[in-house]
Amino acid sequence: MSELLWAEKYRPETLDEVVNQKEIVERLKRFVAEKNIPHMLFAGPPGTGKTTIAHALAHDLYGKNYRQYMLELNASDERKIEVIRTKVKEFARSRVVGEVPFKIVLLDEADNMTSDAQQALRRLMELYSGSTRFILTANYPSKIIEPIQSRCAVFRFTSLKREDVVGRLSYICSQEKVACDEKALNVIYEISEGDMRRAINILQSAAALGEVNEDVVYKVVGLAHPKEVREMIQLALSGNFIEARKKLRDLMINYGLSGVDVIKQVHREIFNHEVKLPDEVKVMIADYAGEIQFRLVEGADDEIQLNAFLARLSLLGRKVKV
Amino acid sequence: MPWIIKYRPKHVNDVVNQDEAKQKLIAWLKAWEEGKVEKKAVLLHGPAGCGKTSLVEALARTFKYQLFEMNASDSRRKADIERIAKMASQTSGLTGRKLILLDEVDGLDPHADEGGVEALLGVIKNTRNPIIMTANNPYREHLRPLREVAEVIQMKRLSEKDVVSVLEKICKAENLTCDPAALKEIAKRSEGDMRSAINDLEAAAALNKKVTVDTVKATTAYRNRVYAPWEALQKLFNATYIFQAKEATTSTDLSHDEFITWINEHIPTYYETPEEIWRAYEALSRADVYLGRIIKSQNWDLLSYALEMMGPGVAFARTAYKYKWKPFKMPERIKLLAESRRSREYREALAEILAARLLTSKAIVMSDVIPYLRVIFTQNPAYAAKIARGYRLPEELVTWLAGPRAKEVLGYVKKPKK
Repeated sequence: MSELLWAEKYRPETLDEVVNQKEIVERLKRFVAEKNIPHMLFAGPPGTGKTTIAHALAHDLYGKNYRQYMLELNASDERKIEVIRTKVKEFARSRVVGEVPFKIVLLDEADNMTSDAQQALRRLMELYSGSTRFILTANYPSKIIEPIQSRCAVFRFTSLKREDVVGRLSYICSQEKVACDEKALNVIYEISEGDMRRAINILQSAAALGEVNEDVVYKVVGLAHPKEVREMIQLALSGNFIEARKKLRDLMINYGLSGVDVIKQVHREIFNHEVKLPDEVKVMIADYAGEIQFRLVEGADDEIQLNAFLARLSLLGRKVKV
Repeated sequence: MPWIIKYRPKHVNDVVNQDEAKQKLIAWLKAWEEGKVEKKAVLLHGPAGCGKTSLVEALARTFKYQLFEMNASDSRRKADIERIAKMASQTSGLTGRKLILLDEVDGLDPHADEGGVEALLGVIKNTRNPIIMTANNPYREHLRPLREVAEVIQMKRLSEKDVVSVLEKICKAENLTCDPAALKEIAKRSEGDMRSAINDLEAAAALNKKVTVDTVKATTAYRNRVYAPWEALQKLFNATYIFQAKEATTSTDLSHDEFITWINEHIPTYYETPEEIWRAYEALSRADVYLGRIIKSQNWDLLSYALEMMGPGVAFARTAYKYKWKPFKMPERIKLLAESRRSREYREALAEILAARLLTSKAIVMSDVIPYLRVIFTQNPAYAAKIARGYRLPEELVTWLAGPRAKEVLGYVKKPKK
């Protein structure tokens, strides 16, 4: 007996199986009927189906063995444009036989590429446009350079609606024969912020603990997300910088969080009403958190940036006497 | 014969002011004799001219070891290392006890001698004779494996007084007339480097049998010193001028990103007030941004700004000047990273497997998927085992995910519940 992660098990394989992003799916089905697609940019928040729909589209175009006609690259895992260039060149070289006269390059998280790399990508798109189509996905389309945007048909994916997520989750519950409380599914939707993948992950680990109710969902989320973030904030605010830094190292080294993950979680925590701070201090912290997130992207060493943030917290904490 | 060879210490007792290192080394050699040694090699480190090689030679002479010496930085060829390896693996025979000295292991170039460190690790693993390695700076990243297998023993930088005492003996033996102020000047310029001090005395004496402050000034120049990380930090944090703080950032043989890790570690151990800590970190954060931009743009013109934020920016974060002597230890983070390397490799490997199946990036798998997978593996072993089978996860990844419940999960993987 074996089991898969439900995020994989319940991923729609064809465009017909996709339950949301209705307009986008309709347009894509027309491309399939014509057996031709333009270069495309799928833009929208994480977990809204961009990559899944790209795969479903390829499936409908080429059939079950579609993956031999598609090159999948992830820009955040392969940052070097040389790697991308070599792989694309290799892949585009052979011509396709069959009804569809092109192959697909799926470049995920393209907004993680520097603008120089994107310029190089633009040239690749021109060079191989005879034999390949590019599908790019991005969370932030504004980070894609204009020349690429203008060469692509842009599809804007919207956050999943509550009924879409809850509906899908209860469908999975019934398939898996797990008792799922309606309230619990709503809580999962709220925690996952409309990210279907995250919602399904939470559901599966809650189900592993037994019946899915509100308490279990909170318990699972608590287990998955280290409490160290809140403890770290409290330590820093109380002026204990060195201990706060220890927690930070625990988060980054042992839990494997990136600097940006940490600052985002901190940001969420600060606005949590359980953190007792004067409102104007929360505003100052949020401002500096934003600055630090920017420097994390610009800089080289995540820990140094976050230490600067923690040092700022201990200074502010001293001033407001928490 | 150059004086630095002529006046090498003959006996351990002739080596000045390194009692702690001496005691540790002697105890370690004794443990070897008795076959109770914990680590088969020693990594002896300290600033240039503090007497590392001399001490090892004196030890060999005093305790009757036959010394086999190899200078790691000029014997890069595989054959040399193999020769040493062969000798090390043989037990002491009729020729008496052997002691192996691998001098200047920090001279192994991390790029040119790929495999050099690995080869030495092999030698240490198989040796039947004590091995002493020396290094000016043992904290360079590529030496980490050697630090792990060897007992690390530190020698101090010699004081002015120590240097003067040796120079006085040489003056006497050479029948020179030496002005005490001149010897003090040489010692000051040597900054604890005995070798350069003896060379300077020899140069001054060659000019005139009467050594005065003037002859010293005429014949010796200040040298560009390489400092150990903690010495550079001492200079950086206590700098009174901008140039001192900036110079300190380039006075070690660590790379910028290695040295910034040392500064990062010690801002809160040196500074006491939250105000100073924050101001220092704000400067360091700016330095890191410049370093990041340099990496991305390869625009090395920016380096000066980075160094100014790293050095003066951190030093002048203080609200009032007061010379403080603080111990600057090896950064905790370097140790933590070394200890957690295995675990990070597992996380990476798991992310790679799952990213391909879940059609997403490794980064998303690490932040969004693995935490929930861990919940399943630590809470429901039977169900976890099914997932382990579904993805054919290798045993070590299952063990890593399940932590304390690894045995249970693995049990179910092998014998699935009906």
